[in-house]
Amino acid sequence: MEIKPVKRGIGPAGKVLKDMLEEKERLFQQTGYYYGLKELRLAKEDPLRLEVMASRLLAAAIAGRETTRMISASPIVRDVAELAVAIYTPEGDCILQSTGIIIHIPLMGQVIEWMIRQNYEETEGINDGDSFTCNDNHIAGMHPADIYDITPVFWREQLVGWVGTVIMEPEQGALAPGCMPSGATERFVEGLRFSADKTAVNDQHLKSFERRISLGCRMPDLLLLDRKGALAANIKVREEIKKIIDEFGMLHYIEGVRELIEMERRAQLERVKRRTVPGKFHSPSTYEIYLTRTIAPPHHSRDTITLVPWDFYIKPDGSYYLDFDGAGPWGWHSSNTSPSALMGAACLMLSPTISYTGKSNQGTLLTVDMNTPYDTFVNPSSPNVASGMFFSWSIMGGAIWMGQQSRAFFSRGFVEEFRSPTPMGMGTSGVSALAGKSHWGMDFGFQMMEPPGFFGSGAFAIRDGVLSDLIFIPDSDMGNSEVWELVVPLLWMGRKFVPDTCGWGKYRSGRSIMGTYMVYKTDLLSLDTMSAGHCEKIGCNSGVFGGYPGQGGFGKILHNTNAMELIAQRKPLAHGEGYPGVGDLEQNIKGELIIPMGNAYVKTVAKHGDFIQCYMAGGASGVGDPIKRDTALVKEDLDSGVVTIDRCRRIYCVDATFNEQAEEWVIDEEKTVKLREQKRKERLAKGIPAKEWWHTRRDDIIAGKLPPMLKEMYNGSLAKGIRWPGEFRTFWQLPQDFTFKEG
Amino acid sequence: MPEISYPKEVIRDLIEGKLPWNQLKSIISGYKDNDRFDKYVAVLQEKVPWQERILLPLTDELYIVQKGKERIVKCSCGYEFGDYRENWKLKALIHVRDTEAELDEIYPYPSKPEPGYCEMREHYCPGCGIQLEVDTVPFGYPAVFDFLPDLDTFYRDWLRRPLDTKLEFTDLSYELTRRWSAEGRESIKKTDTKARRRKKV
Repeated sequence: MEIKPVKRGIGPAGKVLKDMLEEKERLFQQTGYYYGLKELRLAKEDPLRLEVMASRLLAAAIAGRETTRMISASPIVRDVAELAVAIYTPEGDCILQSTGIIIHIPLMGQVIEWMIRQNYEETEGINDGDSFTCNDNHIAGMHPADIYDITPVFWREQLVGWVGTVIMEPEQGALAPGCMPSGATERFVEGLRFSADKTAVNDQHLKSFERRISLGCRMPDLLLLDRKGALAANIKVREEIKKIIDEFGMLHYIEGVRELIEMERRAQLERVKRRTVPGKFHSPSTYEIYLTRTIAPPHHSRDTITLVPWDFYIKPDGSYYLDFDGAGPWGWHSSNTSPSALMGAACLMLSPTISYTGKSNQGTLLTVDMNTPYDTFVNPSSPNVASGMFFSWSIMGGAIWMGQQSRAFFSRGFVEEFRSPTPMGMGTSGVSALAGKSHWGMDFGFQMMEPPGFFGSGAFAIRDGVLSDLIFIPDSDMGNSEVWELVVPLLWMGRKFVPDTCGWGKYRSGRSIMGTYMVYKTDLLSLDTMSAGHCEKIGCNSGVFGGYPGQGGFGKILHNTNAMELIAQRKPLAHGEGYPGVGDLEQNIKGELIIPMGNAYVKTVAKHGDFIQCYMAGGASGVGDPIKRDTALVKEDLDSGVVTIDRCRRIYCVDATFNEQAEEWVIDEEKTVKLREQKRKERLAKGIPAKEWWHTRRDDIIAGKLPPMLKEMYNGSLAKGIRWPGEFRTFWQLPQDFTFKEG
Repeated sequence: MPEISYPKEVIRDLIEGKLPWNQLKSIISGYKDNDRFDKYVAVLQEKVPWQERILLPLTDELYIVQKGKERIVKCSCGYEFGDYRENWKLKALIHVRDTEAELDEIYPYPSKPEPGYCEMREHYCPGCGIQLEVDTVPFGYPAVFDFLPDLDTFYRDWLRRPLDTKLEFTDLSYELTRRWSAEGRESIKKTDTKARRRKKV
């Protein structure tokens, strides 16, 4: 009888990684506990020891993130901090994560899992000192600009875990402008792609990898130094993990990290039960794509609106379920999303809102389940579709999901945790990507990441929203303008609030900022709008409790200006918007005004002296009927220029006069009471019973009084969905085979 | 985990947005208080001018209350919207901002919803004229039922004090539109008059 040699793997105690992955999944399926851990032995016997180990691991991840920031050359890393570091089990489950772009935490784990399933252990080989790089969204990820560097952790020749670092790149060699071009429809024009490639051996990057970067993009130094930073972070964290194992022992570490995941899973379910209310929430969301306005292959050049309705359930056991039934068809553009990206969004939404103890990990996500129908917008069936904007809808929709969860906090009484949605719906879009010749005379491409610091948050239930609160970077910062000026051929003319843009409400959304720039020392500058979260025709967000969704983003370009003459004459230029409807740009400077629309290239080559204005806001909403706003807060808004007196009277129904001497607004309380009473009467007079609205709208639907793009949108969802189409037809009392006639 | 509990006055000030930032910050960052719901409801119950027991606050103006054997949605002004399992928006007054001028009032800059594609629906309480919700949805989208709570599970399994009666956790809005369809357009005027005449409690 032939004796088969014992198969020895690289995992702890000689286990094969693939076997470990299968065992973990089997035990969870059979018992409902992570790794079958019904009893938490270490937590029971010596909870403090486990706590100390967890704290050491968390500190290591955060220190790793800071290490990367010190090495990187990119302002996106150094200033805006678009990076994160996490520690994983051998099977790829996150144990602890740093702050930063945590949306990627589960996705780096998915890459590790993919490598295990692809049997890297035997094929590529996984050795101490190796590192792997991945930005292939067919495997996992949000978009190719987010590059993952993943390093295995060996302790005495056994793989005990992984460290992953994600960094967003401003340019990775894609079609101009190089990062997430609006015209990409297939992934073959999205630049450098690393498909979990082995890129370092013995803690040294492979020369072939470095050459590939040097020859593969416009600004290779940034991309390469980011890889050095990521590798340094991973090594630093790896060495710390080894020290922790030396101190705590191998068995304690392996068992301990599993217990940390199981403890977090249970804690998350308990938190949900203590802070929310079970039930069903519903929101629709749309995504607009205008490929006819950009450079796309003729067979993909279409304009579409896609509907993604979704139900969110807080279930009796405290778990979350998201049902995307009814999501419309996916399309040949870069803005579909994927189950992987949606799980990233789940991490992003839960970590800062309910699982914020510093222990958020895979256990948090084990409480989330989703239905992402195959061959739809949320789960495209072709691996070849572009993925430059996979993140876009997932964070836009994710923010609305955050709003749904907030309703549950509110009902339970945790009003301080309530925040209205801050989606990244851009309206008509601001210009944020640049390519051409830099002010140094060099080829360049760059995705501006200053705007994350521009976004104001949605209002809270008991206070106004705040500045710098873009959802996908919880600790966002707009960075130093002097640093940006080193990289892109623009002069920073100003960063200012824009009056009358907040989401109106009893509590208003946070103020967002407009950047004003002058093109500097280049005559060859191509501009692309940030093709994320397009809500040109349909608002990206609803208000909350009677508040309005805020102003979406917009941009302006003034071409062929007389700015140089004005500078020579020391005359005023533009540093912000100015008064609504009387923009400083249009008033002070002569030139051809362009309002960029949709996700598209601006069909003009900008040059020295041209002006660009970019107002980045996500339609963040106000909370509560605006006519309930405290007049003292209205006075503050008037005094600080957040609101003009015109809209103050019409929306807040507050009257005031300006005291020239004291240079402040004085509220007329008596008139205000009358204005507010009058507003209520107006509403009672003009509002129609819902039943009347229902009959009118139903007639419109039956008569097909909808624009063709909307008919196509509804038909897409009616064709793809299983449950939602029935609900749509039943609500409007339509035949169960109803569809819109095209045209 | 330490047992945290705040005085009712603190919860009242919290709800009303009157807590100083340092105190609010410590509540946000600290352990959560397990008796919050009861104190929250008690404070709200004192604020409303009617007697029905609040089962669950839905918004800053709307509550699910126990009225006899029914559970209905009620506005703080006293207006009653009916069974909580029907979308209350279908009992509200609606105004759709669907002209450029009306949208310009809210959005003075180039980025704004486009009439014909988007409905900005304002939902008013027929009793007091307060704006209860503003929905921005594609033209023709069904009324959005923001939140249908699973009240029985909440009280029975989470709070461990079941409600007296048990109701099926289901969306009854479709029954309403079914009735509207059967009644036809002719019934609109009568309903309209009735709604506008309804007095505050």
